Amino acid sequence: MNSIENIKPKVIIIDDEDALRLGVKKLLQMEGYDVSTAANGTEGIALGIKEDFDLAIIDLKMPDIDGITVLKNIREHRPNTVCFIATAYASYDSAVQATKIGSQGYIPKPFSAEELLNHLRMGYEKRKLILEADRLRADRENRLLELSFERTRLNTIINSIDDGVLVVNRDEQAVYFNASALKYLNLHEIFLGESIADILPPKIREVIEIHFDKPNNDSKSYSEQIELLPDEKLFVQATTTRIPNHDGTLAGVVLVLKNISEFKRVEFIKSQFVSMVAHELKAPIAATIGFLNLLLQSEIEISDEQKTDFLTRSNVRLSSLLSLVNDLLDISRIEMQTVVREIKEISLKDIVTDVIQLFNLDINKKNLSVIFNCEDNLPTINADFNEITRMVTNLVSNSVKYNKVGGEIKIELKENSRYIIFTVGDSGIGMKPNEKKKLFLDFFRAKNEFTKNIHGTGLGLAIVKRIVDSYSGTIEVDTEYGVGTTFRIQFPKLLETEITTTINSH
Amino acid sequence: MKTINKILLVDDDLDILEQTKVMLQSKGYTVIDTDNSENAWKLFQEHKPDAVVLDLIMEEHDTGFILSYKIKKDPHGKTIPVIVVTSAAYVTGYKFDSSTSEEKEWLKCDAVLNKPVNIEDLIKKFDSFIEKS
Repeated sequence: MNSIENIKPKVIIIDDEDALRLGVKKLLQMEGYDVSTAANGTEGIALGIKEDFDLAIIDLKMPDIDGITVLKNIREHRPNTVCFIATAYASYDSAVQATKIGSQGYIPKPFSAEELLNHLRMGYEKRKLILEADRLRADRENRLLELSFERTRLNTIINSIDDGVLVVNRDEQAVYFNASALKYLNLHEIFLGESIADILPPKIREVIEIHFDKPNNDSKSYSEQIELLPDEKLFVQATTTRIPNHDGTLAGVVLVLKNISEFKRVEFIKSQFVSMVAHELKAPIAATIGFLNLLLQSEIEISDEQKTDFLTRSNVRLSSLLSLVNDLLDISRIEMQTVVREIKEISLKDIVTDVIQLFNLDINKKNLSVIFNCEDNLPTINADFNEITRMVTNLVSNSVKYNKVGGEIKIELKENSRYIIFTVGDSGIGMKPNEKKKLFLDFFRAKNEFTKNIHGTGLGLAIVKRIVDSYSGTIEVDTEYGVGTTFRIQFPKLLETEITTTINSH
Repeated sequence: MKTINKILLVDDDLDILEQTKVMLQSKGYTVIDTDNSENAWKLFQEHKPDAVVLDLIMEEHDTGFILSYKIKKDPHGKTIPVIVVTSAAYVTGYKFDSSTSEEKEWLKCDAVLNKPVNIEDLIKKFDSFIEKS
């Protein structure tokens, strides 16, 4: 019977009649069954529980345990085994009882081979249906498990993202949200079905409500930057997108809140820098135009001496405007990190010597004495020549500009185990403590009785700081108002890349 | 009617200070000038000028504000035009103007002018102040 399926149906015959047991066994084996036998109830229960039989034929009357008890026991442990009760004492009552506790059928003895096989065939069909149903149930349970796992996982993911997510339906009720949404909206809880009108700031509601008046084919997202907490504490970008039904009508709206506070802070600093730059650029232009206007207005009487003075001063302002533009370009190059650096071995000693040479004219004009001490056998450094020259130039230039007539400039180069130390000291005007604090800020210039006739961009030290930082160096300043200022730069002997190579070569 | 003769001029940009001074002098005004707010306050009390023209951004970003506020609180200061000149129309993102009464209340001055200062505009501001008072 199992020509289609390769598996033999497993059947057990529990009967105390040896002849019947053996006869049936032979018959069924010939019909392709895998047959086991038990000669009494006890043995039958043991075997019937131990193995998962497809079918069982149980004799009703056995000397030790009756067939009904055997049936009960087997079905208790193997509910999917299809059992038959066989008996010569067929009575209506026992048949009903047997069926009640789960017997598939009732085979009256004596039975013909045809009768038995028919019963078993039907029983086996049933067994297969039971197993199939079982498999399907297990499958379904597995799938549900998987589904709920999937859902939990999705929930976990959405809950873990830093962006706030809130979904509202057409009636403007909250239907889904994550932890970040609570955080940004400063709420302890959102109840599903709660009206957003009661809980959302008006500005956020507006971005959601835009979608309610739009036609179905409008799938655009809307975005708005909203300040949720004042003083730059919390700025969010609220983006809303419609969720369509199958037919394209609006099902709801999903709101995503992205924290852009940091971005806003940077933007503010940048715009502040731009307005400072604009102011700094405008001042020399305004001054120059002012002088030109005076010179052009014939009704204003100006002496020749004044004329020369105005032209000279215009010239000075325009020159400083030019250096300001150059400084700005330098800063932008350093900030954008697009500087193509040519890192090579350079000698700080040579650079300092050259720079001092450059300022010789100004040094002599102010009658300054320069002392330059350089340790013997000072190692070279690996850096960009132009950047280091710029750094040294700015420091030496300051020590000349802010020095007193007849003053002194002390420059020193030495090394310790890790750094090359470069110091530039002057006997100039020095700085007050509050000026020292702002020293490296963009456009900061100490304004006092000494400095009013000194021109500068306010960017020189800001540039020095940026260059030193970019080589992982440090800069310190020691200053006393009216006495002088000393800058001390520590330059790492090895660049990080070299350290890596050193480590790798071991 | 009051006339304006003596003007206190305050600007930390020495070039602008010089130019405005020359222009005002060419129009017949007497000019007292200084490049810092501390000295300006002393000169104001000492000379009791008929008008004050001051730069907004000097030692600090708001030095001009503070000085004009102080002058406008002074009994004499209340009676004279105080005009702020600035090249910072939009410093740190804030617009300085005195077009609304609220701004006038906050920024204690009678007019704001942009640099470089046009002398005719400046004189017009003086005139309109005198007409009003």
